[in-house]
Amino acid sequence: MAARFTVGGFAREWGHCHLLANYLARYVSANEGDPERHATLLSTFINELLEVIYRNHAPEGQIDLIFRKRGRHVVLQLTLPVTEQNRVFYRMAVQIVNQPDLKSWYRARLEEPAEGEDTMLGLLELAAVYTCTLTISEPPGQDRLSLFLELPEVDEMGEV
Amino acid sequence: MPVALNMRLTGNEEQEVTLTGTLRPFVAEEMASVRSSLEQAARSARGTLCVNLKRLKYMNNVAFLELNRFVRWVAHARPDLRIKFVLSSVIPWAIRKFQVIAELYPAVTIEVYDKALYPTQPVLEDDEFINVLRMQEKLIWNHEQDILVQHGLRPGLRVADICCGLGCFDIFIQRDFRPEYLVGVDHSRPLLRYARQVVSDYGLENIEYQYGDAAALLLADNSFDFVACRLSLQIFHQPEKILHELVRICRPGGRIYITNEMLSCMVGYPNEEVIQQGYKSFLQVSRQGGVDLDMGPKGRFLLQGAGLEDIKISQINVSNTNSDPNDLARVVELWIRVAWQFGAAAGADPSLHADVEKGLRAHMETILSDRGYAVWPIIAASGRKPFRTS
Repeated sequence: MAARFTVGGFAREWGHCHLLANYLARYVSANEGDPERHATLLSTFINELLEVIYRNHAPEGQIDLIFRKRGRHVVLQLTLPVTEQNRVFYRMAVQIVNQPDLKSWYRARLEEPAEGEDTMLGLLELAAVYTCTLTISEPPGQDRLSLFLELPEVDEMGEV
Repeated sequence: MPVALNMRLTGNEEQEVTLTGTLRPFVAEEMASVRSSLEQAARSARGTLCVNLKRLKYMNNVAFLELNRFVRWVAHARPDLRIKFVLSSVIPWAIRKFQVIAELYPAVTIEVYDKALYPTQPVLEDDEFINVLRMQEKLIWNHEQDILVQHGLRPGLRVADICCGLGCFDIFIQRDFRPEYLVGVDHSRPLLRYARQVVSDYGLENIEYQYGDAAALLLADNSFDFVACRLSLQIFHQPEKILHELVRICRPGGRIYITNEMLSCMVGYPNEEVIQQGYKSFLQVSRQGGVDLDMGPKGRFLLQGAGLEDIKISQINVSNTNSDPNDLARVVELWIRVAWQFGAAAGADPSLHADVEKGLRAHMETILSDRGYAVWPIIAASGRKPFRTS
């Protein structure tokens, strides 16, 4: 399943994040054993990712969201226009996610939250708490990048 | 950010703040009223402050971090106060998320409340039970299908089956009544797995099964024409909580349909005295475990108490002359084991179980006898949700 929308349309209303997350999650979960439970969990992941891009994108361009199924995993590929500042943010997020003791890092940040880190924590929580994997792809010479979020395996009961 | 916030600070040792709905603020400042209520509660609370999130369906990380900041604030401002996050296993993201906070702060605990609400569940979901439950569903359906029409079930309705168990009822309903939409909700993963497998094996469509808590359903208000809850209110120690939810999800003008047993009126002849004593002891054991297997006659009272009108009552009589006696005897045989497990879980006097076994074995003999007569009575009751509530 794929969705394409403009940055302008997406960023005009904060509620788009929540509504889009719920709608897409329900759509992707339609054939699951427990669609409601699967969609509730998936919406949590999608919403957090959408919130991150809502706060970190270039002023214009298109956002592409592609859902793929790999066994019991859902993989989200999110391609968006970025500024250099956005690019640094996403690179840093991927770097932190792939450090050896992510959970300790995350717990330490909860104990002593740092100013301006909330958005990053939202993204990192997906990896630290729910074991999502996050990778990035940057086609050379383009002002766009792709984030790949592989969600944890979800069984037919909607359990991770 | 459509969140509902309730604060109840009436308890002596446990006060509660409840958040329900969706909590996805854009910025932390949008959480100001929630933070303020939590802090107000924490200032006046004694012992433990419960933060009840069991019906909070969605929460983003902005909100979570604010709750984390609240906990840190409590750790400094009220080091004597304990915080308990009350969660439900039905909300799939919640337990992992709050476990991290519980690990970080010694004063924080999490309670998965629905584990306590379903104490009898493990008794009801092993393989043997599942086999007999299927047989039981078939026995009942043969008599129930006709009375369902009297209680308002007809083709094309939106139907919810709460505490659907193995989902046999839903398959029968789908086959014979062709609802527009049918959802079965249960809190037992093994039973739901079985139900889904059947639906998948037979290629059935239009039946959705949902893991859920009957006392805190995730289904929308006023969204079903016919809401069924069969042989289930009787096994909960707080049936009124479930009834409240059945009424909530039923549309005005729709009907709520419940069935419950009436074990005190079990019929068996000969050996009627031994049989009656057996069921009397069975009732005693089950009541000690918070289960009321004599709830059937209370159906009218319960539905009226829930504000329903046009109450209809029917009696389903499964007997050894209108059903397969071997199947009925196997069902009764299973009850002997169920009674023992209920009793063991509730710490009941083991001597009671001897009475149960003696009486129910006598009942089985009666059921299987060519000259005996035995009846298992079930009371079906339904009521209409009024268009206007006072």
